[in-house]
Amino acid sequence: MERNGVKTLFWFGILLVGTACVFLLNVGLGSVNITGSDIVRVFADELFGQSGVKDNAHLIIWQLRLPRAMAGLACGAALAISGLLLQTFFENPIVEPYVLGVSSGSSLFVALVTMGGFTFGVRQVTPLFRFTGAFIGAMLVMAVVLLAAARVKNVVTLLIVGLMAGYICSAAASILSAFAEREQIAGYAIWSMGTFSGFTWQHLPVLYGIVTVSLVLACLLAKPLNALQMGDRYAASMGVNVRAVRCAIILVSSVLSAAVTAFAGPVSFIGLAVPHICRILFHTSDSRILLPAAMLGGALMAGLCDFAARTIVSPAELPLGAITAVIGAPVVVFLLTRKDKL
Amino acid sequence: MSEILRTVRLDVGYEGKAVISGVEIEALRGQTICLIGPNGAGKSTILRTLSGMLAPVEGTVYIKGEDLRTVKISALSRTMAVVLTEKRNMDMTTAYEVAAMGRMPYTGFFGRLEEADHRIIRECMSVVGAAGLAKREYHSLSDGEKQKVMIARALAQEPELMILDEPTSHLDIRHKVEVVGILSRMVKERGMTVILALHDVDLAVKGCQYALLVRDGEIAAQGRPEDIVQENTITDLYQINGASYNALLGCMELHNNNPISAFVSAGAGRGTPVYRALSRMGIGTATGILFENDVDCCIARSMQLKAVVQKPFTPIGEEQIAEAAGLIRQCRYAIDSGFPAGPYCQASLDLLREAKQVFTFRKPEECRGLYGSASVCFVDSIARLQRELEA
Repeated sequence: MERNGVKTLFWFGILLVGTACVFLLNVGLGSVNITGSDIVRVFADELFGQSGVKDNAHLIIWQLRLPRAMAGLACGAALAISGLLLQTFFENPIVEPYVLGVSSGSSLFVALVTMGGFTFGVRQVTPLFRFTGAFIGAMLVMAVVLLAAARVKNVVTLLIVGLMAGYICSAAASILSAFAEREQIAGYAIWSMGTFSGFTWQHLPVLYGIVTVSLVLACLLAKPLNALQMGDRYAASMGVNVRAVRCAIILVSSVLSAAVTAFAGPVSFIGLAVPHICRILFHTSDSRILLPAAMLGGALMAGLCDFAARTIVSPAELPLGAITAVIGAPVVVFLLTRKDKL
Repeated sequence: MSEILRTVRLDVGYEGKAVISGVEIEALRGQTICLIGPNGAGKSTILRTLSGMLAPVEGTVYIKGEDLRTVKISALSRTMAVVLTEKRNMDMTTAYEVAAMGRMPYTGFFGRLEEADHRIIRECMSVVGAAGLAKREYHSLSDGEKQKVMIARALAQEPELMILDEPTSHLDIRHKVEVVGILSRMVKERGMTVILALHDVDLAVKGCQYALLVRDGEIAAQGRPEDIVQENTITDLYQINGASYNALLGCMELHNNNPISAFVSAGAGRGTPVYRALSRMGIGTATGILFENDVDCCIARSMQLKAVVQKPFTPIGEEQIAEAAGLIRQCRYAIDSGFPAGPYCQASLDLLREAKQVFTFRKPEECRGLYGSASVCFVDSIARLQRELEA
């Protein structure tokens, strides 16, 4: 720690400032030009209730950009931590919720609701209901992957199982789309490419509540996560209750992944790339550093990708999934081709 | 001496099926206990059961008098440390950080290391001779260095009992000796108890106070290594054909059962290198006249050579001379290994006159009139001897 202390602080500083900057950019810039003074006015209005004027600028900043930027922060952090936890769990550097098909499990549930019109007896689809469904979907796929992982300890096999789970889920979704209305299909298609645009003030408390609790739980796992890097047997010999920790990891990472997928759609590769970038930046595999680093890194990366998605071809919008894949897929290839690491 | 670990009617195995039955071990403070046996005999299974990673099929393991199943995992981690065979790819982690993991049973919720912890980690690393590796990346270390770091990590747990599975496999000879040395020092200085599985029979015999021979689903023998490891024990245990373990010298010798065509006149250890060279070349060897207390005699027997032997500290008898003379005449050539020619072995020298041809390691001035009418070839090294024999 002493040796790396300065470097660690430096990178934390960079990540913190970077995240703040990207957040401000996401609020400040967009297809409609809004001046700095207007933005300050909108914030002052909302926070101190001064003028009460609700113009266009107010609508765009307060109802569109701010919820979206805040959702990006939470989703990015959630995905990165979910990825970090799964990478430690499977002792495998190229897993994350999307690659393992966990996101697909959640997607299938969302497809059932949006296209199939299944409401499971609930009259109104609330954010919490959506999340619960997505969580069940995530856990189902996770159960399949775990069963496979217990039988075969092979990186590639795991990936294929995840891939197949993804195919089955999307097959089910496309069967549903055959019976669905055109409008519903369009809605599902947009959602399935991943976007933070769907967030409203109604969703944010649910998202932030779930993500905050899960991230705190993840941080509490820091010490046993370090021990697990040496393998189950060593971890147990050093006093770690391996079974309990493993259950906690699965639960927390599934909740995080489901929370994001329920609202933002399956967002790929953030969970994969960010932990690795953090490992390289901080040059450590110490979870006590990586957990906070990946939270910041995930928030920063999600913010950046969303910013790119919104502005590159403004006023049109690129799918978020496309941007994250372009950044994330090369990381997978890089990791796979480093022979000595797998 | 107080008891650390004891097993009672222990059957070990997987999924309710016993691999080895009736394991009775009593480990006292400051004892090194070694499991010897071929691969797949069940040494690891025993060690896993002793360390609580595997539930016993039958019977009980007691740690300091308490049933292992009821000992809390956190308490156990302060009593017992393990070094396993599994290798991890610890990326982006320094050797120091790996060793520091050993403090986990003692650190708080977030594993924060206090100054006292750092002192213990540094001390453990220097004990195993890995202090200089502290800042190196763990994955960049050699196998031997990694093993030392893993032992430092186990030591940092400040255990009373350390269990190691094949800690010396894949290590070069220097690291093998070092690892065993570190462990015996810990046993002597800290009163630690060590239970380990070893491949190297000679290291096991020399470094451990107590040994168990594991074979075919049972503990074939247990006791002081000197008492249980005899001539045939090791060859039986590992089912070795074509070689013998020399219990006295603690070494393995390959048998030489080729038809005899060379006679080596030996003694005082001069014959051994020649025996081994001839064995490699596939030349059947007879040797003599050896006193039974001679190291050459000891080796010749392990190699199953035809040897003419004489009781120790007695003059060579008529019978032996006649037998040796017969062998020399039968052989294509004799090799004089250059043994120190004292008054008692004059007969051995005289016998060489009977040879058709003599290869000798003696200097020409020593040999005047020594070999009679035999044709003589002077050699000064095994390489030279080999060249001459092949010519």
